[in-house]
Formats: sequence, structure tokens, C-alpha cells
Amino acid sequence: MLDTLKTLCALPGVSGDEGCVRDHIVAEARRCGAEVSVDVMGNVIAVKKGAAKPKKRLMLAAHMDEVGVVCVGHTDDGYLKFACAGGIDRRLLPGKAVYFKSGAAGVIGFKAIHLTTSEERQRVPKVDELYIDIGADNKEAAQKLVRAGDTGSFSPVIRELHGGLVRAKAIDDRAGCAVLLKLMREELPWDVTFCFTVQEEVGCRGARLLGYRLAPDAALIVEGTTAADLPGVKGVKRITSVGGGAVIPFMDRATIYDRELFAVLSALAEKNGVKWQTKSYIAGGTDGSAIQRSRSGVKTAGIAVPVRNIHSPNCIASAEDLNAVFELAHLFAESWGELEV
Amino acid sequence: MELTETIMELCAMSGPSGFEGAVADRVEELLTPYTDEIRRDVMGSVIAVRRCGKENAKKLLLDAHMDEIGFIVTGAEEGFIRFQALGGVDPRMLPATAIRFMTEPPIFGAVSVMPVHVLKDGEVEKPTKIDDMVIDCGLTQEEAQRLLPPGTPAVYDTAPVMLGEKRISSKTQDDRSCLAAIIRAMELLKDEKLDIDVYVLASTQEEVGLRGAEPAAFSVRPDWGIAVDVGFGATPDCADWRTQKLGDGPVICRGPNMNRTLTDLAIRAAEENGIRYQISVEPGGDSGTNTAVIQTAREGVATALFSLPLRYMHTPVEVSDRDDAEDLARLIAETVKLVSGGERDA
Repeated sequence: MLDTLKTLCALPGVSGDEGCVRDHIVAEARRCGAEVSVDVMGNVIAVKKGAAKPKKRLMLAAHMDEVGVVCVGHTDDGYLKFACAGGIDRRLLPGKAVYFKSGAAGVIGFKAIHLTTSEERQRVPKVDELYIDIGADNKEAAQKLVRAGDTGSFSPVIRELHGGLVRAKAIDDRAGCAVLLKLMREELPWDVTFCFTVQEEVGCRGARLLGYRLAPDAALIVEGTTAADLPGVKGVKRITSVGGGAVIPFMDRATIYDRELFAVLSALAEKNGVKWQTKSYIAGGTDGSAIQRSRSGVKTAGIAVPVRNIHSPNCIASAEDLNAVFELAHLFAESWGELEV
Repeated sequence: MELTETIMELCAMSGPSGFEGAVADRVEELLTPYTDEIRRDVMGSVIAVRRCGKENAKKLLLDAHMDEIGFIVTGAEEGFIRFQALGGVDPRMLPATAIRFMTEPPIFGAVSVMPVHVLKDGEVEKPTKIDDMVIDCGLTQEEAQRLLPPGTPAVYDTAPVMLGEKRISSKTQDDRSCLAAIIRAMELLKDEKLDIDVYVLASTQEEVGLRGAEPAAFSVRPDWGIAVDVGFGATPDCADWRTQKLGDGPVICRGPNMNRTLTDLAIRAAEENGIRYQISVEPGGDSGTNTAVIQTAREGVATALFSLPLRYMHTPVEVSDRDDAEDLARLIAETVKLVSGGERDA
């Protein structure tokens, strides 16, 4: 599954421009024998038949998009001005490489330390003050390489760290995509609808359509979530821990997850020895917020892989946690038709 | 080998101040075809000489430093690595930066800072100090202490990439791009008959205070010394008199740290050979480059300083212009020829 994650993380797919990820997922889903369709915004819906049709319809969702940059214009001397797609802590932008789908490479420039004043060194630059260097000398040359509206993603280089950890961009939420793809390859006892959504990072906009279109009875959102288990972060503010197992959230800033499903998931984990944790701090949000309140309401639960440096060019997550999330999703999908919820 | 390839190869190697060994090995290989003797001095600098065959020939020294900005482990907490910088690093560009430790096999990680939800109001506006950062490699405390003990060096883990067709982006172009240009200049001079000995110094520990060039200049005892180092490329956030434009050619620096006669000779070399060049001014006595220590070695050396315009110096994404680097190599070669041709007044 780590290989699937690495393949997915290397693909560019900034919010609103998920095509490369979608193409890969559509091909994989067809290979799994799923019935695949793509809606008007680009969400992928893959219906995988199981041994039986459950009384209630279950939807699993992961988002395809990642945080990145969007070119918003060009300067006379050939640099790009940009905005962030999704929430990126601006402290981590200077000195990073970005790759545009046009094939152009760029770097977020940052003044040589020798030329900075002590006042400058006391403040973090605003995104407005930053620019991307794509090797162009003037506006026309820059426009040929990257157009306004083109998206750029962080470096696709992936490294395996110690302890089964992996460092990559876009783990949020290619981790969820990887879990769903693996689950789709299994023989399942019940029909399941797998959804790969667009534009989660800019307001859960894709998932909104799916809640309406599919009108499921329940939804399980498979995500990447913040881990802040660093020296200097005390107690609950660590939110989750890498290596601490699958995260089953009871609540985040956008959703109070279905209590019954939270209990079902945590009981499944306990009974089957799947390492799990919950979030110790109310932070973040998922596609669950859009799906839960679509039509007349959907019972919504979540599971997530804890991710350090989330929304950065170098997210860090654990293969063990990824496997735990898969096992839990698998157990849930297997037991779905018999659950009294 | 094409100059751009040499630049990318050398820049991709790991060799921060004090840990230049692997780079030195490769530099020796690259210099072998163009020099007669190569040695490594006590500070780890590579000193190669191309003899002209005359006894007591005068000596010209070409210097570029091999070391790069890097990091060094100072300890571990909960398996996370505490570290300090080797050389001048602006901590504001470190959050979420990819890091490679110089272990065998290499250990990779990324810099972590306190996440936003932990910060108090306004703290996100304030840069994090290096003391408050950690590098996350996925290690337990026991593993961290065993595999990455204090003193283990590290560098940026970024790969060189072309921006458009002419611009090279990489870590460590300061100063390996200039070192590559010197090697290229030696290649250009390969079939030239010279009547001086040309020394190439690939020096160590420049980034921590010009420490390698000083003893090397003492031992070589040159008549002329040309330091080749990067200069500030103009960027939108800094385009004043201290910067030069990328693509407008290599830079010849003027100021008290540089000998006027040798500098004028270099300008003549550029003009007579149609090499585009720019002038920069280092008004202080110490230009902040190895020229500072070469000039005052023993009874003194006639120095010049050439530079390659470089944007975003000391970041993982330094940018230079391919044609500037090639012209820099030509400028070095033509200057050597003029000095060799009897311009002995310098």
C-alpha cells in the first residue's frame, strides 16, 4: 500500500486541477471491476459490487486534491505572483520548489540572508511579498511558460524515513485515496460506493455534489489529519500521534461525527486489535461536513491517518498507521450490511 | 563534460563546512586531466597545480570554495533532532524543508516547527528560531542517539533543476558553480602554452569564516590570487547597487580588497575577447570572500575577485544563469592568458 501512496503523492493535483490523479484513479478503479463515472466537477464515483446489496447504501470518500499554488499574474521582469490553493502556513513557503502542470519548474524566491535587515529577519513575509522564479526574463517569456490560473504543486520527490515513515507532499489526502483503492481490490461482502472528491482543500466543494447525487445512508470519510506530536507541544495540543494508529475523530471544527458510527468504529478496532486513537484537540475539517448535511442528512463518520507537517511540501506519515486505517475501513465495509445503525 | 552538467553534479553532492571530503575526491578527479600534481592539505582543501615547466615560475592561484551551507546535529529529544546551522542560514526558510543527513546510507528528514494551532496570537508572524526547530526522521530516541550522534552533518535534500532553458536552480551553487567554472577554465586552457604555474584551490570552510583558504594561500605562496565566488543576483525584493542581473555576464569586483592592476587586466581580458561582464563594488577592505585572506597571506598577494550572479543565496533553491557561468569560465581563462603573457606589473 506504501507503493500506492507514493505513486499517488507524486502526481500533481492541486484543488480544481485534479486531472492527473483522477486519470490514475479511474484506471485503477476500472481494473478493480468497479463501475466508474466522473461528475461535472470531476469527482470520481466507483461502485464496487459485493456479494450482496446491503439494505443501506454506504459511501466511502477520500479527496484527490492537494494544497499548492496558483499563478495569479506575471511581473514585468518575468516572475510569477501567486496565491495559495488551500490553507498553507506561509512560514513554510520561502525557498521551496514548485512544479507547474505545463512542465515549467519554479522556485519561491527568498532574499539572500546577507542582504536582509534585522527588521526583515524579525517577520515572516506575506504571500503578497513572495514571487516564483521560473527562469523567465520578462512578462512575455513568463506567460509562455505558465499562464495565470495554472496550478503548481510542491516537489514530487518522496523519501522513506526511519520507522516505516514516509516524507512526501500531498499525503493529505492521497493516503485516503490509497486506502480506498486497496479496499476496492478486495472481494467485499456488500456493495460499496467509493468516491474520490475534488476541491476539499478549498471548502469541501466536490463532496457537496456527491452527497446530493448518491443520497447515501452513511458515509465514511478517509482522511489525513494533523499530528503535532513534537517536542515542545504538550498534552492535548498534540492532536494525534504518528505511529499511534488510525484516528477516529468524534468531532472537528466542521463536523460532529455520528455517535453511533464512532462507537461502531472504535468497537471494531478494539475487537480486532487495530491500533486506534482519537483527536485530542478540535481542529481541522473534512468532506464529512458537506456530506453530513446534504439532502435530508447522512450519518457520517471518519477515520484518518495522522500526518506531521500536514499541508506542507514535506508531510510525514507512517505506513503502520496507513495500514491500520485500511484494516479499520475494511472491517467497517465487511460488517456494513449487518450493522444495526 | 558540459559546464551545466558539472555544476549539477557537484551541487548535488553533500559537503558542508568541515565535511567536504567526498566533494574533494570528485574535484580531484575532475582536475586530474588538466593539472600535473594534486594534494590535499591539512584543512582538507584540494590544491592542484599545472606546471609550465620553468624553474621558479610565477604562480597564479584560482580559488573557489567546496563547502556549502549545512546543518549539524547537537542532540535529540523524543527522537527528534536538534541542530545548528553550518554557515549563514536565514531560519525563515527552514520550516518544512527537506534534509539529508550524511550517514551511510543517508537518513532523510524534514524540519518541523510548532504548528499554527499551538501558537499564540501574532506568533505566526514571528520567525521561529533554529533553537526551536527539530528535524523529524522517524527515529526513536535510542535510534537518534545511535545513528545521528551530535556532530553528524546534514545538508538540504533538494535536487538541481533547470528553470526554463537557461537557469539552473540548486542548493550549493555557492560556490560549486564557480568551482565548476574554474575546472572549465582549466579545460579551455588545456592546449594553451603558459609561462606561469596555475594553482587551483578548492578550499574548505569558507562559509564559517574563510578558514580553509588562509593556510592554503600561505602554503601556495602565489603571486596572483583570483577568488571566484557567487555574487548577489538582482531579485524583485532587492535590486540595488549590491546586486547584478542574471544573464548580463560574470562580475568583476572592484574595491580595496582587490588589486587594481590585476582587476584592470581582467577587465581588459573581457573586453578584448568580447566577454560580457558587470562591475560590482565592494567598498570595504574585506569583501567577505576568500579574497580577504588571500590578499594578506604572507607578504601579500595581488588579488582579483570574479563572481557569478546568484539569486537566493544560501537557500536550497539558488538560481544562476548557464551563460553567465560559461562566460565566467572564459573570463578566468583569458585573464590567466593575459597574466601569463607577461603582464607582470600586477
